[in-house]
Amino acid sequence: MENKNGLFDKIITYIVLTFASLTILLPILWIIRTSMANRRIAYKIPPQWVFDPTIENYVAIFKDLNFLHFFMNSLIISLLSSLIAVMLAAVAAYSIARFKTGGTSLNVFILSTYMLPPIILIIPLFILVKSLGLLDTRLAVIIAYAGIHLPLLIWMMIGFFQGIPEALDESAMVDGCTRFQAFTKVILPVTAPGVIASFVMSFILAWNEFIIALIITGKTSRTLSVALSTLSTHQGVKIAELSAAIVLTILPIIALSFFIQRYLVYGLTFGAVK
Amino acid sequence: MKKLLLILAMILLLVFSALTVGAQEINILMEAVPDTTYVQELIPDFEEKTGIEVNVEVINYAEMHEKLIPQLISQEGAYDVIVVDNYWVGEFTTADWIIDLEPYIDKSDKINTDVYIDSMFNMVGQVNGTTYMLPFYNYAMALVYRTDILDEMNLQIPTKLTDYVELCNSVTEQTEYYGVVMQGLRPDPIAMEWLNYLYSMGGDFYDEDGNIIINNDKAVKALELYVENINNNAPDGATGFGFDQAFSVIANGKAFSYITYNWMLPKLNNEEESEVAGKVDIAQMPGGHSLNGGWGWAIPKSSPDKEAAWEFIEWVESFDVAKERALMGGSPTRNDVFNDEEVLENYPHYTEVKTILQGARPIPIMEDSTELIEVLGRELSLAANKDKTPQEALNTVAEHMKDLK
Repeated sequence: MENKNGLFDKIITYIVLTFASLTILLPILWIIRTSMANRRIAYKIPPQWVFDPTIENYVAIFKDLNFLHFFMNSLIISLLSSLIAVMLAAVAAYSIARFKTGGTSLNVFILSTYMLPPIILIIPLFILVKSLGLLDTRLAVIIAYAGIHLPLLIWMMIGFFQGIPEALDESAMVDGCTRFQAFTKVILPVTAPGVIASFVMSFILAWNEFIIALIITGKTSRTLSVALSTLSTHQGVKIAELSAAIVLTILPIIALSFFIQRYLVYGLTFGAVK
Repeated sequence: MKKLLLILAMILLLVFSALTVGAQEINILMEAVPDTTYVQELIPDFEEKTGIEVNVEVINYAEMHEKLIPQLISQEGAYDVIVVDNYWVGEFTTADWIIDLEPYIDKSDKINTDVYIDSMFNMVGQVNGTTYMLPFYNYAMALVYRTDILDEMNLQIPTKLTDYVELCNSVTEQTEYYGVVMQGLRPDPIAMEWLNYLYSMGGDFYDEDGNIIINNDKAVKALELYVENINNNAPDGATGFGFDQAFSVIANGKAFSYITYNWMLPKLNNEEESEVAGKVDIAQMPGGHSLNGGWGWAIPKSSPDKEAAWEFIEWVESFDVAKERALMGGSPTRNDVFNDEEVLENYPHYTEVKTILQGARPIPIMEDSTELIEVLGRELSLAANKDKTPQEALNTVAEHMKDLK
């Protein structure tokens, strides 16, 4: 009887999980399907389920959209901005966690700057970038992203560092480390999952960011999110090419998620319960 | 510590290698449309002649306005030349963001504004007698219809809007096709579509004295006909259709007619995208007045190099280049290009397109035109879904228009 109940529970669990997964996976599966259809089939209503798959959309985005160039832009910008942001955030968060820098209110205050809608920053940011002569450069986007993501990362990392007993720093220093060495050689390696999780979070935010990239990039430094939007034209959305581009755009994020899944879950819950 | 310094040095190196400042040439912001592609293909010719390098930055319509505003309000922007949609003409000229082109035109022996079709020049050329733009391309709307269905029924495209709705009724009743496919999505698609009905019924937003007439008898009749057509003759769900859904219905051979941009005809006649290739044609809106739309070349006040910008506009709007663009498939704005034998040989339907353009009318050129379309779209949608009567919906629009500039 117990076994039967167990089986029944399992079936219910799987049914619920299947439906829950499908709500997330179906749009992605549909995009993958559309990316292999030609333009006529892509828009057909009711949909044509069986057709000869084609790679013409993938060829088109590399040839006509210059996909690789924008992909590299996004990759360089996301990687560098995340690296810079994580490094600065780690130092700042360590300081706040250990020395109560800025008193009790600073960590809340830091996050409050992240609460500003990015659109408010657009015009000042544009004028700043323009006056520095950095319009349409990757450097401008890297600095902007690093600065904008910094508060969130600091806030995340404060929790990680608070989760590490201070005794660990002290032991390291007793053994002859300076405070900075204790931080880089002992504390950072221990919080590595949290640091990696923060890096990934920053990378994903930068990878998907649109409005800032739209305003301060141009032809050479344009990121993928902006480049993809050009596939929505006055003559309709080029849905087949767009689907192909989306498939390639989400690949790095999916790959990254698999790679760091372990760290990500650990990192996000790290310090939640002390 | 050494390791950390090494990592820092590497990052700095990467950051500086990421720095790519483009050399200063002329920069143009344009929309992702075929006409832009044709210009891009011809640009090497300009670069060779003048030695000015041209960077065309292409983005989609929805983001253009957002991208332009910071550029236009700063003292020096990045764009030397921009293209202006007729929606924005009132806003850009009132805000003094684009320069008066007349001093340049006066000096030029290549540009004569008389060659443009009046309806185009009055929309994306001059405002209150001052020339701010030169018309680049048109997107006037027109009636696209299936010739095979019309032949089968032995009928002709009528000249009055009421008869057209009757024709749609007959097609729906007597054949397996929808009489019409419509785009009832709010705000832009439905507003743009209904304005063809309004203008063809002889209605308008304002009369000659500037009085609001959007809720007069003609306008109400135009909306009644629209509501009848979308509820009786269009596919289910048409009140929520945007451009893509509507296009797919006609391209898949399910509908008899569709009011859309005139340059959708070649797209529908392209076998790769449409199942009705060879069976569609274009006609003037029954009633003679469709919605006009178009883009104009302009030089922003913040343009870093206005002389080079003008040199480009002078070249791109010269007869030869305008004709070349038309031959590639572009949508002309000049009378002489429309009348050119070689152009007509390649695109015989341009005779009809010219007639369509001559009768087409734009949305009013005003500062708040975007807000006008928002309100109009919302109210039309309520009427199409029968949540309001046509008279009630248009009364609300009229009331709101009193506050618009």
